[in-house]
Amino acid sequence: MSALIVMVKEVLDNLRDRQTLFYALLFGPVLLPLLLGGSLVASQRQVSIDFDAVTELAVEGAERAPNLVRFLHANNVDVVPAPADPALAVRLGDVPLVLSIDERYGEALREGRPAPLTLHVDEGDKRSSKAARRASALLGVHERTLDALRLQHRGIDPMLFDSIELTVDDVSSDGAGGQLLASLLPFLFIMSMVMGGFYLAIDTTAGERERRSLEPLLTLPLARRDIVLGKFGATLAFVALSVMLTATSVWALFRLFPIEMFGGQVRFDGPTVARALALAAPLAPFVAALLVTVSAWTRSTKEAQTYLGLLMVIPMAPFFVLQFLSLQATAASAALPMLGQYQLLERATLGEPIPALHVALSVGGTLCAAASLLVVAVRLYADERVLG
Amino acid sequence: MIVAEGLHKRFRRAGARRGDTPLVAVDDVGFSAEDGAVTGLLGPNGAGKSTTLRMLATLIRPDAGRATIDGHDVVTDVLAVRRSLGFMPHDAGVYPRLTARENVHYYARLAGLDARTARSRTGELIEQLGMVGFAERRAAGFSQGQRTKVALARALVHRPRTIMLDEPTNGLDVMATRSLREIVRDLAASGHCIVFSSHVMQEVAALCDTIAIVADGRVAMVDSLDGILGRTGKSDLEDAFVHATGADRGTDG
Repeated sequence: MSALIVMVKEVLDNLRDRQTLFYALLFGPVLLPLLLGGSLVASQRQVSIDFDAVTELAVEGAERAPNLVRFLHANNVDVVPAPADPALAVRLGDVPLVLSIDERYGEALREGRPAPLTLHVDEGDKRSSKAARRASALLGVHERTLDALRLQHRGIDPMLFDSIELTVDDVSSDGAGGQLLASLLPFLFIMSMVMGGFYLAIDTTAGERERRSLEPLLTLPLARRDIVLGKFGATLAFVALSVMLTATSVWALFRLFPIEMFGGQVRFDGPTVARALALAAPLAPFVAALLVTVSAWTRSTKEAQTYLGLLMVIPMAPFFVLQFLSLQATAASAALPMLGQYQLLERATLGEPIPALHVALSVGGTLCAAASLLVVAVRLYADERVLG
Repeated sequence: MIVAEGLHKRFRRAGARRGDTPLVAVDDVGFSAEDGAVTGLLGPNGAGKSTTLRMLATLIRPDAGRATIDGHDVVTDVLAVRRSLGFMPHDAGVYPRLTARENVHYYARLAGLDARTARSRTGELIEQLGMVGFAERRAAGFSQGQRTKVALARALVHRPRTIMLDEPTNGLDVMATRSLREIVRDLAASGHCIVFSSHVMQEVAALCDTIAIVADGRVAMVDSLDGILGRTGKSDLEDAFVHATGADRGTDG
């Protein structure tokens, strides 16, 4: 009961603190996903090609190839007149790409010779090179059609010229960027948990000592355990709030962008995010206990900020370790707080099955670690040195 | 009612290594404070007044000696001591983002009052201590006098029989000091045991029924004001204080 009173007071107290609110409600849930997710999506967007989107292509001498223009139009490319000097216009970036149809095009086509086409492209410019890849791909399709027609015209089976049929079978369940994207979710979740509880944990422990309000508090007739549990509860509330808001904003953010463009099986739909959140849930008490214990152990808010700043590296560590070492998920690694959640959440976003044993170990290991940290915090508060 | 005998407390010096001599904050302090009276701990800064009060308030454990508050031992019966004791430490330590009323109400709830009783008791203290004008304001901009009143209200909220105030008049202006003095007198008149630490002679002389002179971690003399003046043969407390602590015999400067 006393613990609840402490918790309610600390939550109310910190709801009036702008710094705590910024980190709990804005930094983790809004800024971080926008920064990371947004830039990732944007960069992927520049590289990947959406063949269904209607685009314009500047064509010089379109009247010389009516069939080609019709073919392009059928493939969602609207032909527009080209500027007077195509090469210069592309170099200056006025148009991304210009297709020049040579005046000998029609003649060469009729006589069965290679028909000359020129693409003016600026390979140094992402927009231009992307447009060029799309145009080349379409022209390639058109060329194969013409090839087949020519061969059939001469009574030759076009199959004769396809000596190899190459099929690329990508067995990784995710695309190249998929792994990175899948580890984004645990990173965002853990980071927003730490940021959400950071200021509140410092304020209620080291901050309380620095404001000298700890001394009268400790003379009240209540157990030290209740004081620690109350502060832990308040921190946990902010940690949980922060991670839930983050989950919501990740879900909302990736609804705005088609995730299929990444080519993998990465998913950020409602059920997946909810599943990931459930798997990450035991981390909330762990992170809250870690924050409270470390800042209770420090002697001042400055010191607490320094130590917790170093602690920020912890949520990032598994992210990089897993990127470079690609550790296999084992039962042992599942029981480790943070690392275990990283691996479980990655699998969840990739839609892979997760062994029940791993889930059980992850929940058990993380909660045990949280409880041990709280025992340490209660001991710290029972010691007279807590007064500093 | 407070009874303290032979209290002793030493601390490791800041940055000390193993084997360094510890700092003796309180060497040998014993006194008793009666109900219905104001007992003053008078001594210079660093004499061990605050450490003594902290031991009595169960914040730190004495290394030697024993003390009881209303019959409860400060080492073995901690929760009972805390229930019968209201302690206002040296720094008010009010929560700046809470209003005066919220500060007091929080302590009322933590001291075990149910929500309704806590509300009415808080309102009562706000009236009694003259806090009505700033009860709904957040404590961040409070004057020292206002902060002290909030801290005092918090210490009184669970109606403790014994009340300890550590340098309560520090930083208070004349009017605030006067009003605090009146409150303390009223509390003693209604039967509370009050211990009041200070390094200001006039204040202790004006307010305290019994004075314990503390210097270098020891109680040099305990008596009423008249008793102390009589025993030292001096005409005012300041001279008596200097004589009692032996400072006039040219000890440390």
